[in-house]
Amino acid sequence: MATGRFLLKRALQGVFVIWGVVTVVFLLRFVTPGNPITFVAPLDASQALRQQIAAELGLNRPIYVQYVDYLASLLQGDMGYSYISGTAASTRIFNRLPATLELAIAATVVAVCLSIPLGVVSATHRHQPADYGATGFSLAGISTPNFWLGIMLVLVFAVQFGLFPTSRRVVGFLPAIEMLFTEGSVDGLVTWLAHITLPAITLGTYFTALITRLTRSGMLDELGKTYIRASRAKGLPETLVRYKHALRNTLIPVITVVGLQLGTLIGGAVITEAVFAWPGLGTLVINAINARDWPMIQGSLIVIGAGFVIVNLLVDALYASLNPQVANE
Amino acid sequence: MTDPHDRSTSRRRFLALAGSAAATTALAGCSGGGGDGGENGSGGDNASGGEATEGADTTAGDQATTSGGTEGGESTETEAGNESGDGSGTGGFGVTITQGQPPSTLDPQNHRETPTDNVVLHAYEGVLARDAEGKIIQKLATDYERVEEGRVRFTLQEGVTFHNGDDLTPEDVAFSINRIVKEDVGFTSPQADQLAGVTGAEVVDGERAVDVMSDGFNPIVFASFATYCDVMQQSWVEERSGEEIAQNMNGTGPFQLESYEQGVRVVLSRYEDYWREPADISQLTFNAAQESSTRVNQLLEGETDVAVNVPPQDAQRVRSSNSAGLSAVPSTRVIYNAMRYDVEPFSSPQFRRAMNYAVNLSGIVENVLSGFADPTGQPTLEGFFGYNGDVDPYPQDQAQAESLVEESGFAGAEITLHTPVGRYLKDVEIAQAVVSQIDSLSNVSCGISQREFTSLAGELTDGDITTGPDFYLIGWGNATFDASQTIIPLLTSDGALTSYSNEELDSLVADAQSTSDEDQRESLLQEANALINEQAPWIFLNRQYSVYGVSNRVEWSARRDERINAYAMGETS
Repeated sequence: MATGRFLLKRALQGVFVIWGVVTVVFLLRFVTPGNPITFVAPLDASQALRQQIAAELGLNRPIYVQYVDYLASLLQGDMGYSYISGTAASTRIFNRLPATLELAIAATVVAVCLSIPLGVVSATHRHQPADYGATGFSLAGISTPNFWLGIMLVLVFAVQFGLFPTSRRVVGFLPAIEMLFTEGSVDGLVTWLAHITLPAITLGTYFTALITRLTRSGMLDELGKTYIRASRAKGLPETLVRYKHALRNTLIPVITVVGLQLGTLIGGAVITEAVFAWPGLGTLVINAINARDWPMIQGSLIVIGAGFVIVNLLVDALYASLNPQVANE
Repeated sequence: MTDPHDRSTSRRRFLALAGSAAATTALAGCSGGGGDGGENGSGGDNASGGEATEGADTTAGDQATTSGGTEGGESTETEAGNESGDGSGTGGFGVTITQGQPPSTLDPQNHRETPTDNVVLHAYEGVLARDAEGKIIQKLATDYERVEEGRVRFTLQEGVTFHNGDDLTPEDVAFSINRIVKEDVGFTSPQADQLAGVTGAEVVDGERAVDVMSDGFNPIVFASFATYCDVMQQSWVEERSGEEIAQNMNGTGPFQLESYEQGVRVVLSRYEDYWREPADISQLTFNAAQESSTRVNQLLEGETDVAVNVPPQDAQRVRSSNSAGLSAVPSTRVIYNAMRYDVEPFSSPQFRRAMNYAVNLSGIVENVLSGFADPTGQPTLEGFFGYNGDVDPYPQDQAQAESLVEESGFAGAEITLHTPVGRYLKDVEIAQAVVSQIDSLSNVSCGISQREFTSLAGELTDGDITTGPDFYLIGWGNATFDASQTIIPLLTSDGALTSYSNEELDSLVADAQSTSDEDQRESLLQEANALINEQAPWIFLNRQYSVYGVSNRVEWSARRDERINAYAMGETS
């Protein structure tokens, strides 16, 4: 019951966060230099044509009218139309969402699968070669710029050895799964995996390094605590002590960080998307900003904001289940 | 679902992938996110739009002499005859083209960018077109003529059908023109000013022809129609919303839409009932990759057949590859530094000339652009109507520059060059070279201000010359191949993007635009170019090249107008 109230409160806060994002972004358009007409009309367009286009796009109406109209449309699920393409912003954004989620989740899976074992090994073998290896990897991972990493991975594993395609997303995960179940063919899944591997590693490596370090320090902290000594004194097997007690408590801050990082990744991994021509939300937002395509910018940020809110809600739910005291607080 | 260019997959490959994924991970390291933006602007700074091109191989052929204002013609020369393969139209030959940006829309009349043009031109056609050299040829018109001042007539081809099977009618052509130029059609086309002077179109009674009316003589009307105004089917357009038109295509061109994943991929297939020979290519796919290195990698790995805008630093990789080569051609885009005539020190012609003498243009072409550019000395590019062959680029002469600065009375001037970042090929590097060479003069100090393009362009297009910077780098593409379409907007007193005003120049251009004598018009425009060179309202910089990486399996040569025409592609024998 307490957990339910806690999550409801968090969800309501999330709605206000999204409204705040909408409002701030909406107001930003009026203080940001650059006019969307620059991109809609040719540079040599006459002032008459510019005004005509501005009128057609509703840009010549007062700010408050535009704002109220926008909020009213938003409540009906209408995010407006892209100034550049003339198509519904929501359609374009939601078309990009699967690619973004696939990449974000794949990078997170890469990170979690590698980092937690690495962090645990590193902590349990402190000052041994395994520890030095893991901390060295973490340092390298955190220090390496991912545009360089992405390009190097492509040059080595795609161009030199031909093990992976260089770029692009040829098939989505869900269509690949559908192909598996309807046609019994793994080709779609293999193609999807081939195309997502390098981008996921590129995006997930920093994340891996970060969580490895976090896990290592958390485990070291937990393993030094009194309850662990008591558990060992009671004669509990070491594996049980490490993985049931110490790791469980270590994972609480780790989950928080994973959730925050996943929220960030839903905002789009612009560099990785650019290097791998991955059609995600990140490049869509950047291109929209460069073109001052405000309906696309606003719509994208609403979706990203909602993504953050949802991920944080899930983290809170997980946190509450791991530590019920959180809900009571 | 899978890509034709993808390697075939298997369980064995799956295992190999899994193994190499683990190995790759072991070697990896990275940083957090962030943005690096693209290398190409997707828009264009011209009437036709266009990406900022990215370098080229030095393979400038002879410039074609083109006509910007022919007075009609009945030439039977067609695009197919000029540049297509045999158009056998049989068999399965798929081609993939990777541009820097995806098309923004599939509505041929609601955009202003070359990447979009490159897609829609395969499904839609105009009454006239241009061959690879820029020469005007017939397309949906068999004949075009001026019937009187302010009225030209296009006689239409027989037997042309839209992809939905319906016949092309004169009403469709008139509707298409009016959809662009008329204000009362419920649609505002950003191309309205590109059909300069055109006021409307109507069907000629009893003939398969359309009359186009202009405000005045309109000497560039044919040049405009050779570049702009794709023909759409009236009923098809009227039955659909703007959003539906933006995501579907129904033209008369050699390819029809098969599938469209907005912002990602467009797949076209050969239109078997095309009114000319069907294309050699059976399936045509357009992809986009913002990063030039990504496009080049795709090309070298056989994942694409044509990579647009190969930059100088990647040219050698393509050249040395066994699977692809470079195709390069001078484009229609000129890069220049505008100097506002109304502010000191740029109000002085001597000072402006000094700036031209200060710059080592040939050095910039060789060292900054790796030779992938041509130096210019006038706004009109070689091969354009009105180009003056007697005008040379300014040579670098620092002593002459310093002397002219003294003569101008502005010794000690401090100036700042504003440049967009990443909009044009090596724009910042060009600006830095210019600034450093001007700053090396003993009596002028020069700095640089790097600007976001939208912000800079906003200042230049607001109709008020005083809100723009005094001194800035910008590029201009002119797909009409006519000098007037560069000089009028950029250098006449009332130009939309002007930085200059000169009564003599205004008068020359006005005379050129009102005369019906083509030779006289050419002579007037050449005179205007000579005057511009002498008055130096710009620092004349370089002509950009269009450079493409092309797979060895495809036979195709680059065009001057930055357009990619897959109908002209064939399979290498």
